[in-house]
Amino acid sequence: MIKTNRILIALIMCIAIVTGMAFANGQQEAAMAADGDTLDIVFINDGHVAPYHVAWLGGFEDAIKAYNKEFGGITGHWLSAEGSLEKMIQQAEATINQDPDVMFVNAINTKAFEPLVKKAQDQGIIWIAVHSPMESADYSFTLGDVTNGYNQGLALGAYYNGEANVAIMLGQAGNPSGEARREGILKGLAEYPGVKVIAEQPADWDTVKAQSIAENWYTQFPELDAISGVTDAYLYPSIAIAENRGIEDVTFWGYDGDIPILEEMKAGKVGCDILLSGTREGWAFVQTAYKVTHGMKVDKVIDFYTPPVMTEEVYAMVKANGFPSDIEVYMVDKALEVAEKGYLEFGPDSVK
Amino acid sequence: MELSKAGFKGKFRISASKNVRYLFLIGLIIVVSTFFTFINPKFLSLVNIGILLRSISVLFLLSMGMTFVIITGGVDLSVGSNVAFAGAVGVLTLQATGNPVIAAIVTIAAGAAIGFINGYFVGKLDLSPFMITLATMALARGLSLVLYKADAISVTNEAFLWLGKTSVGPFPIVIVFDILVFLFIKSLLNRHTFGRDVFAVGSNLKAAHLLGRNVNMVLIKVYVLTGVMAGISSIITIGRVSSGQPWAGLNLEFDAITAVVMGGTSMAGGEGSLVGTIIGVIFYGIIINGLILTGANPYFQSVAKGLILLIVVVLDQVQKNRSAE
Repeated sequence: MIKTNRILIALIMCIAIVTGMAFANGQQEAAMAADGDTLDIVFINDGHVAPYHVAWLGGFEDAIKAYNKEFGGITGHWLSAEGSLEKMIQQAEATINQDPDVMFVNAINTKAFEPLVKKAQDQGIIWIAVHSPMESADYSFTLGDVTNGYNQGLALGAYYNGEANVAIMLGQAGNPSGEARREGILKGLAEYPGVKVIAEQPADWDTVKAQSIAENWYTQFPELDAISGVTDAYLYPSIAIAENRGIEDVTFWGYDGDIPILEEMKAGKVGCDILLSGTREGWAFVQTAYKVTHGMKVDKVIDFYTPPVMTEEVYAMVKANGFPSDIEVYMVDKALEVAEKGYLEFGPDSVK
Repeated sequence: MELSKAGFKGKFRISASKNVRYLFLIGLIIVVSTFFTFINPKFLSLVNIGILLRSISVLFLLSMGMTFVIITGGVDLSVGSNVAFAGAVGVLTLQATGNPVIAAIVTIAAGAAIGFINGYFVGKLDLSPFMITLATMALARGLSLVLYKADAISVTNEAFLWLGKTSVGPFPIVIVFDILVFLFIKSLLNRHTFGRDVFAVGSNLKAAHLLGRNVNMVLIKVYVLTGVMAGISSIITIGRVSSGQPWAGLNLEFDAITAVVMGGTSMAGGEGSLVGTIIGVIFYGIIINGLILTGANPYFQSVAKGLILLIVVVLDQVQKNRSAE
């Protein structure tokens, strides 16, 4: 009995410490928001499972700090719905009640949020739809998913000079961004009739699912030449398993611009990646919020610049095989620099 | 005489222990609400209370069904996916017929059908509730994706949306509906033979069988009831978001189990109450809402939720140990 009481007391102490730590952050932000001319930004994301998300939210937090240091009165926080539609709606409703200035919402499905967009706008909150555009939103922050996917597919086809067996790992079924990336990749590959898509499988943005899919593919398709992913998150387990099994003739084609994957490009395993970069995007959010609340001109659909990234060797090879030279390609070192240092493109200096 | 005295004492002890638990949870609700209000005064605003009530309305219904299942010693992991599946059937019926009443009936029937499959395999074939409902969880989610073609379908029929969408001032009408359902379900559990059978099956399955209870039928009815709750929940969800969503209800089964266990229903079966479940749902809803409203770091939110559940489970064990002593 004494033992269980002690456990109970220990748990109560734990909960007090954890909630104290959690709220210290919230209270500090609330206190700052109470001061005069402020900008309060909330970012509601659909999940927090991939390395991209970690970089994204990290970039967002760093940008908030940098902008606040430069201009003062800028606060922000993020929420993760952990893939649950109900949780995301609850988070959006509670956030609207908090009355921030700008809300970025990476909706699980945009149709579910139409009623809330109006509610937010009625309260004077600027709603920025993330990745999946919404007609009703004040702004949509898009990635050009179809074009990016097309570029990836085109580079892959050119790399193999139009003859390859490709497997594609997809996003969650029905997710607009994932579907658009798939559409683009297939369009790009379709430019090369000799390229065969031998497998397509959704991995739900989940690295663990990607792992078992890759394992199955390596066993099932010995003729496999390339794995194309709609997110870099799939490349980590796919590359690791290939290494463990001594598979050396499969190449990987990514999408996200994760720094570790860009570094893998130098080792020659990754053929092409799409430079989103979570860090970059996090910084771009804060820059966008600052612009739209300070009367600067911003397009209703903000097309985030996301060029393909290759090594010089791969670029030379694909160009020789017909990859269009009018598509701007970043070399790895340049991509790594902007991916790591979001402030270079989107820092406080960019809005002065 | 002595026996009846002992019986009275035992009953009194169980009732007192239950009350202590409720008081503890209510105390916790008061403490955390005060804390959240201190951090953000909007927590106690009417608008936020309305948001809170709307957000727990679906969990409330699912948890009521789950309470019955857990009292029988089972668990239903399919309820979240069933919300999506029943919604898909309902939305497609609405598209085909244009009749909201038929669509609503079909939605509830679809939910009940998944419940019947669960109940049949658990009750008639004596298979593990965990495994069966794990299978139907995947089945229902898969069917939902197939029916929706993995994309949401907008719903504009105001009559079909009414329950989930309508508010009087800041207060959602669905809460009144939830209360009516609660009163009906509570009388079913506490004042009806069916309710006594549910407790009997959960306390001792073999004894219930020997006493002439139709154990199979009781289990089938319990899972069908949970399926019906999932069907109603899907109508509310569709109303709330003006669309049918293939990923609706994701992980709601775990929230429902958490709320039910917090409310004092024993995972071992044979013990539980709907009042406890309500308090559990409210407490859970307050924690989630408060953490959002105060801008607490999401990394800590999961930790806080996990610790709260752990504390309630440990408290439960402490109480049981005391009762045993």
